Amino acid sequence: MKLAAVDWLFIVWYFVLSIGIGLYYSKRAGKSISEYFLSGRSLPWWLLGTSMVATTFSSDTPLAVTGIVVKDGVSGNWFWWNFMLGSALTVLFFAHLWRRAEVVTEVEFIDIRYSGRPARFLRGFKALYLGVPVSCITFGWVTLAMVKIIQTIFGTSGVAALAICLGLTVFYTTLSGLWGVVATDMLLFGVAMAGSIVLSVVSVEKAGGIGALVDAVKAAGAGTGKDYLSVFPPLGQALPLAFVVALFVQWWAVYYPGAEPGGGGWIAQRMLAGKDARHAVKGTLWFAVAHYVIRPWPWILTALAALVLFPGLTGAAPGEMEAAYPRMIAFLPKGVAGLVVASLFAAFMSTIESIVNLSGSFLLNDLYRPFIKKNASERHYVAASRVLVLIVSLLGAGFSYVLGSVKMGWQLVMELSAGIGLVLLLRWYWWRVNAWSEIAALSASAGTAVYLKVVPDNALVRGLGGALGRAGFQIDAWGVGILVIVAVTTAAWLTVTFLTKPDDEEKLLAFYRKVRPGGFWGPVAKLNGGAYKLQAAPFAGWGLAVLMILFFLFGLGKVIFKEWGAGAAYLAVGGLAAFLLSKIIAKIDWEGRR
Amino acid sequence: MKKEYRPMALGFWGVALPFVLFGLLFGRTAAQRITIMLLAAVFFLVGTLIYRAKQ
Repeated sequence: MKLAAVDWLFIVWYFVLSIGIGLYYSKRAGKSISEYFLSGRSLPWWLLGTSMVATTFSSDTPLAVTGIVVKDGVSGNWFWWNFMLGSALTVLFFAHLWRRAEVVTEVEFIDIRYSGRPARFLRGFKALYLGVPVSCITFGWVTLAMVKIIQTIFGTSGVAALAICLGLTVFYTTLSGLWGVVATDMLLFGVAMAGSIVLSVVSVEKAGGIGALVDAVKAAGAGTGKDYLSVFPPLGQALPLAFVVALFVQWWAVYYPGAEPGGGGWIAQRMLAGKDARHAVKGTLWFAVAHYVIRPWPWILTALAALVLFPGLTGAAPGEMEAAYPRMIAFLPKGVAGLVVASLFAAFMSTIESIVNLSGSFLLNDLYRPFIKKNASERHYVAASRVLVLIVSLLGAGFSYVLGSVKMGWQLVMELSAGIGLVLLLRWYWWRVNAWSEIAALSASAGTAVYLKVVPDNALVRGLGGALGRAGFQIDAWGVGILVIVAVTTAAWLTVTFLTKPDDEEKLLAFYRKVRPGGFWGPVAKLNGGAYKLQAAPFAGWGLAVLMILFFLFGLGKVIFKEWGAGAAYLAVGGLAAFLLSKIIAKIDWEGRR
Repeated sequence: MKKEYRPMALGFWGVALPFVLFGLLFGRTAAQRITIMLLAAVFFLVGTLIYRAKQ
């Protein structure tokens, strides 16, 4: 495909704007580590929430959703929609605690929560693990996806353009710190969404309009025996295990970038950068709505149109299914194609800049500062941060060469930390969790994942799979694997927790007084002279948040498919849930002073 | 307006302007033109909201 001069003009103009915004903040970022990695803790909710969703909206996300819809229909999206339960949990139970903790990174949490040598080891290990391999895998799969998109659109000649884009992104991110990242994220998310909306409108037009598209998709479904338009998988016969695992286990058990149980990674970084606890809560709620309600439908529509326009797609290889998304760009008129290509660059840049800033924060704040060079000046640490960000960028770019496929990157990250979610949630609310608990969970999860890779057909998998099959589930390897990893990991860390000593009373008391969590803190609450109570309101708020997201998501779908009555009813229920949720959020004392 | 937000507001207005031009010049159908003009309006509105955001 060849872009017209006017398309290139828009792309260049968009780059000038994005990079200009990023560079504007470079002077402010140089003041201190808090400015460089946390924007001086001054972000309002709309800015931090938009930055979260911009980062999570990567160039590979529309492709992945296209692959899911072409293979399994709209209901296949439960593979990631299930995380909305975890996101709502983070909003109501964890966002304010993160902000109260006032740490610089999620890894520094270890330092204020646990005591002794195991805590020091865990902090250093996690800084290295999250800062290098996890960041490089994420960087690698995002870059690899973008290379595939560019090759689909332009052939190999586009890779040079991508290299320039990557170089410029790393350049302004290195200089501008988190302020530059979140400020450009605002624009990048806008451009990314605009591109996906325009592409979906043109794709639906090409398929003959909404009515013709629905008819054609139903006809295609009749041929393959699938209901591509249903938002739920077929539940009449055997219950699909993958769906059950997604709905009941995956969202609290699996540590996945952007959907970490209780918040982590760039989500935690932005909660920590909020003006106060209330801004952290509202920003995380805005992220959940934008992430699950606003983003998906343009991609789904484009995927359904691709299903109709490329008839052989249902039997194609997974990579070919995903590549249908960039292939649709060929249908765009001159002048508009530039906008959509720029939107893919925007999605790519917004993720890359966050990954490198975040990994730099782990390596500087949790490795370099506590273990390598203590008590240096803030200027020294900012300079070191910039060097570390640059090093991670180079490593990540190199890793994209050795990563086999986008899916391989996803699976690696998900499988290695598939069972650690529960310990990450309970460490805030149960005093007995200690550094050994996390070390045991990480080791057991990674160990079991590797074992399942090396010996996929073992007694544990056969036994569990057989039992679930007899119980009426439609078995799949992914679902059984996750259940095995979660069961082994949970048993391991609970055993280790009870076999090891609790953390120092002094450390626990300082944490309890600073963060003020409710929950199971009996002996520490006694030392404190009083307990912070876990209120009922967040539980009601969690249910309402999930209802709101679900009904808005499905209501929007109904309206798009011109089911006006059902759409209005869904949106009304969603609106009612939003109203009640806003009352609850306004009522809760997020600073925990009462 | 808070000084920190100024470049963001300018960025949104800076994207809205070519949207208007491109929508008018290159949109082939009414649906395409309306979509792009609506998106331009959203970009103008968001830019203005950011411009007026308080500290």
